[in-house]
Amino acid sequence: MSTRSPAALWQSLLKQLWLPVLCVAVLLLATAGSTSFYFPPATDVLATLWRELLHGGLVGDLLFSLRNIALGLALATVVGVGAGLVIGEIDLLRQATGPLLDFARATPTVAFVPVIILTLGIGSGPKIFLIALGSLWPILLNTISGVHGINPAVHETARGYRIPWRLRLSKVVLPGALPQIFAGIRVALSIAVVLMVVSEIYGSPVGLGNFILQSGSGFAVPETWAGTVLIGILGYGLSVLLLAAEYLLLGWYHQRPPRARRPMSRPLSRSEAKT
Amino acid sequence: MMQRHMKTGGGGSSLVVEDVCKTFGHGADEHRVIEGLSLRVDPGEFVCVVGPSGAGKTTLLRCLSGLIRPTTGTIRYGGELLTRPHADIAVVFQDYRGSLLPWMRVRDNVAFPLEGMGVKRAERNRRAEECLGAVGLADVGDKYPWQLSGGMQQRVAIARGLAYEAPVLLMDEPFGSVDAQSRFDLEDLTLSLRASLGITVVLVTHDIDEAVYLGDRVVVIGGRPTTVVDNLVVDLGADRDQITTRADHRFTDLRTRVLTMIREAQAQAQGEGPTVRSESTSEEPAPDRSPGDAMGGATGGTGRGDGPAREKTGRAVR
Repeated sequence: MSTRSPAALWQSLLKQLWLPVLCVAVLLLATAGSTSFYFPPATDVLATLWRELLHGGLVGDLLFSLRNIALGLALATVVGVGAGLVIGEIDLLRQATGPLLDFARATPTVAFVPVIILTLGIGSGPKIFLIALGSLWPILLNTISGVHGINPAVHETARGYRIPWRLRLSKVVLPGALPQIFAGIRVALSIAVVLMVVSEIYGSPVGLGNFILQSGSGFAVPETWAGTVLIGILGYGLSVLLLAAEYLLLGWYHQRPPRARRPMSRPLSRSEAKT
Repeated sequence: MMQRHMKTGGGGSSLVVEDVCKTFGHGADEHRVIEGLSLRVDPGEFVCVVGPSGAGKTTLLRCLSGLIRPTTGTIRYGGELLTRPHADIAVVFQDYRGSLLPWMRVRDNVAFPLEGMGVKRAERNRRAEECLGAVGLADVGDKYPWQLSGGMQQRVAIARGLAYEAPVLLMDEPFGSVDAQSRFDLEDLTLSLRASLGITVVLVTHDIDEAVYLGDRVVVIGGRPTTVVDNLVVDLGADRDQITTRADHRFTDLRTRVLTMIREAQAQAQGEGPTVRSESTSEEPAPDRSPGDAMGGATGGTGRGDGPAREKTGRAVR
């Protein structure tokens, strides 16, 4: 979009980044010269992280985890948005699926880990499945509510001008629900990171989760910290990426005048009657 | 002026409403909005439907556009029963903020119905620009609707209706939420577009002055449930002017007559004498609260004389 200048994007990135930078600085200062076994100096942790990335197998673990999380989220987004558009559009379906979806959302996906390992094994597939399963609900529920929340006047217009359903879905319903869909994906992302770690802690020879588990079990404290920090950076990096994507796709939504000016349901009496 | 690539020439076919009733709700909640309403709009005519707030004007227009179906009775366009939106009928909605898509630029909004018709992009954009030019917005195609003022947004909505190239344009209180100056401009714009394109226009409004100023014919609706109360030809000619036409005695006579009809219909609907009408009854029609629901389909052609003596020549029925 031409109205979104790179400068504005940078500004938004800066707004996101200053606090992590500050935290790192505080950590470096607070742990400098630490002799504690469990809390080594942050510089040691970072050095270990660097070393592990360059010479250890950490890049492999990172790529494995990244791939799982990307595929899992992508799957959840495709299924969640697709199903959400349909369910949100069809009132009967929305009402029928309501209780079921609330139940599914309320069940912690982590509880499925033993079952999934038992039935699907410990390869990459079950992990992607687990991530997708956990990420699905917020995306699906947000899509449904986003579709349902579209101004009725919008639907009326589309119908009045005889917009074919395919076009209506892609140019009316989807963009109309997109702000909420993105909110769902943001929630899903944090769930996905948790599930990624958990899925690799239980029965996995690779991945960041496995790396911190192995390091911790072997009392390799700097490595354990390094892995943990890396997971944090990974999660944060992904959320920044998502924010950038949202900024590009939802320019119209973020630049719009404040909420107060959005159309409310008009009262029956004329609004201009108030003097 | 812009060229038309119309499917059917001029004002299309006639729109005939016959004995339409529209009821919402069921059982105890049942609420009859329109009863026994008949109306005919001939090709090329500019018909204004005027009635008080809550009279079901929007309901009628939605029926005319095929968006909803009447409970009983028929609406025919060119002899064909209207059961869904028709390619010959474009609608300009009251709520332009809701009806212009905020995620599309102005040009894309105007061109969107054409996209639905399978028109190629270059042709779509050309027509959209042409129609934006016709409503005096040649240079805002790249903006988003929410970057424009209310009056400009409604112009965009009109441009979209024009781009659809339907011979019949339905307008639902199109100028209800714009400032007075824009309102006059938009009224004149509508008149000139209609004159140059020869389209049929049905405009629904609560504003009597507006109805008389714009229409070849004014259909007064009212009562509870709503029906046609009066139907009068506006003999003001084709050339109208915001200042001189509104000062013309024929204009003021017509306005007085319309206002009288509406007040009588309202008084009857409330089941009481015409003197009772007060400010509070005008604010909120609350149709389901009136117990009698009397005075069904009658055409309220009763003598009109004493009713509006204390009318303070407000421009609209409230």
